[in-house]
Amino acid sequence: MRRNRLRGEPDVSVVIPIVERVGDLRQLHNEFAAGLERLGKTFEFIFVVDESQRGCLPVLRELQSLVESEIVIVILGGAFGESAALTIGLERARGEKVLTLASYFQVDPHGLASAFEALDAGADLVAGRRHPRIDSFFNRLQSRLFHSFVGRLTGTRFNDVSCGFKLMKRRVATELNLYGGLHRFIPLLALNRGFSVTEVPLPQRNEDRGTRYYGTGVYLGRLLDILTVFFLTKFTRTPLRFFGLLGTALFALGFFVDLVAVAQRLLMDQGLADRPVLLLGVLLMVLGVQTLSLGLVGEIIIFTHARNVREYQVAEVIRGTSPREAPRPAEARPTVVPPPADQRAAGGAAS
Amino acid sequence: MDVSIVIPLYNEEESVDALHREVTVAAEHLGREYELILVDDGSRDRTAEKLRGICERDPRVKVVRFRRNYGQTAALQAGFDQARGDVIITLDGDLQNDPNDFGLLLRHIEEGYDVVSGWRKNRQDKMISRRLPSMAANWLIGKLTGTEIHDNGCTLKAYRLEVVRKASLYAEMHRFLAPMMSLSGCRTKEVVVNHRARQFGKSKYGISRIWKVFLDLLTVKMLLGFITRPALWFGLLSLPFLVGTLLALATSVYVHYVWTPHNDYPLVLPAATILFAFAFAHLIVIGFFAELVVKVGDFKETEAVLATVETGGKES
Repeated sequence: MRRNRLRGEPDVSVVIPIVERVGDLRQLHNEFAAGLERLGKTFEFIFVVDESQRGCLPVLRELQSLVESEIVIVILGGAFGESAALTIGLERARGEKVLTLASYFQVDPHGLASAFEALDAGADLVAGRRHPRIDSFFNRLQSRLFHSFVGRLTGTRFNDVSCGFKLMKRRVATELNLYGGLHRFIPLLALNRGFSVTEVPLPQRNEDRGTRYYGTGVYLGRLLDILTVFFLTKFTRTPLRFFGLLGTALFALGFFVDLVAVAQRLLMDQGLADRPVLLLGVLLMVLGVQTLSLGLVGEIIIFTHARNVREYQVAEVIRGTSPREAPRPAEARPTVVPPPADQRAAGGAAS
Repeated sequence: MDVSIVIPLYNEEESVDALHREVTVAAEHLGREYELILVDDGSRDRTAEKLRGICERDPRVKVVRFRRNYGQTAALQAGFDQARGDVIITLDGDLQNDPNDFGLLLRHIEEGYDVVSGWRKNRQDKMISRRLPSMAANWLIGKLTGTEIHDNGCTLKAYRLEVVRKASLYAEMHRFLAPMMSLSGCRTKEVVVNHRARQFGKSKYGISRIWKVFLDLLTVKMLLGFITRPALWFGLLSLPFLVGTLLALATSVYVHYVWTPHNDYPLVLPAATILFAFAFAHLIVIGFFAELVVKVGDFKETEAVLATVETGGKES
């Protein structure tokens, strides 16, 4: 506790975006603070409060005055959404490790130990998975469907990507580029940037229970988010692979539909003029051409920018050393040069 | 520094030591100052450890490790970014290329070529799964780009540094590097190189990528010929649809006023007319949009790529 008073870098920064659902923030803080203390970590809490949730400011202020450890409150000037709130919180984090939490109890702080173990075992990001789940059947079904769809599309296996509990090294936190609905897919985005990601089961809390129903709009939004992630992680360098495949598939489908319709007209003497199927086929073909040509434009966009953006992330550059140069074997280790923070800068510097 | 040797590696724990030995012997034989850049493309086996070991005993080695697997193009690009030699030689990490061909490549570079590409004339790979698709792809690339390169897939190549610096490599463009460079005015030369059967591990490529290569080819064709005037490219693409529109329109007019046989003819021909006309109009519009993208985009960079490569790297 004493150490927290010193304004040095804490071990862990806990970032809590307060955007939609808010639970008992004081209890949340106290229990996780106690959990971190048990593990012997120093910490700071960063609450990022969305415009719409200003109501919880008194509680936070009170907490700030009561507690010895560092509590930062960031108040957003508008309703910017959870991704923005998270980004702002992550930017302020000073700890070597960053823990993000939902603003209500999702998981029990007892799971902290296993999460830190996983991080020490070499993971760059540890994603919490509410397990065993005590949710309603409907919620579990919803989650199962969501994750099997996401997994199918992106070729990953996560069981609970949208759980707010994420423990990461700061390097990961600074590289995540979150906007829109992307905060729900942090493990996928981290994986795509070449970080190692582990999922750790954490006991779900009672407070997280309750059936969540959403309107159709929300589900549609989620679907678009998934597609965005799919596109972002797979095809940003090769747009024609995406649009081209989609376009040719649409074109082929339309062609096939019309082929069947015409064959039926010619061979089976079935009327053609009164069949809407003909128009469907025509429209599908047009759509196919449009999609394909958009992909071509995408390629032009990528090409005109390709020289400025490096596609790869370097983990390290090791320069060889001569065994004779080093007098003692302990110093014969290769020099490890940490990767530059910005890969673009590295690419530019080389030329 | 005279020569930089760039080798992308992906899960090559068995071959990496042998590779280092062979390449070192061959490179020393060249009698030039050289550096060896090994790019570990996110290997999941013990390649990284072996590379560390090599680094500890050889000061001429530089290792670049990726965080995850990004593919051969990115690995080559990373190697190019690190390279300091006047000439860059690339080869595969699986020992199928013969390091003893370095001298041959270097000789041709010294004769004045900008890019010297290896041709695995006597390829030691499986016929059905490797050689046939590759032959088809090379034939297609040749047809579409109008270059005569027999073997685009061979990683064993030598480049002048300045040529490589100007090229922009992304996605899986390494396959088209030689035709792209040759078309933009570089002096390219293909030489027959030795190819050996695989000793360790298994191949990382398969037959499944034909469609991708085809789409990539479409891209390359567009970028090579039309990047400065995309409206022309989309205009050309739209031509068949224009012809279709006119034909369908003429036929439907003819059928309507002259022939009039059945009662169910009317929808088919107008539908065809609409199909072709919409696709035509869309492509034209997209063409203008593409012009906008090119103009607003990083066009100076693009122009620089084209212009400098056209001088064949002789400006320096």
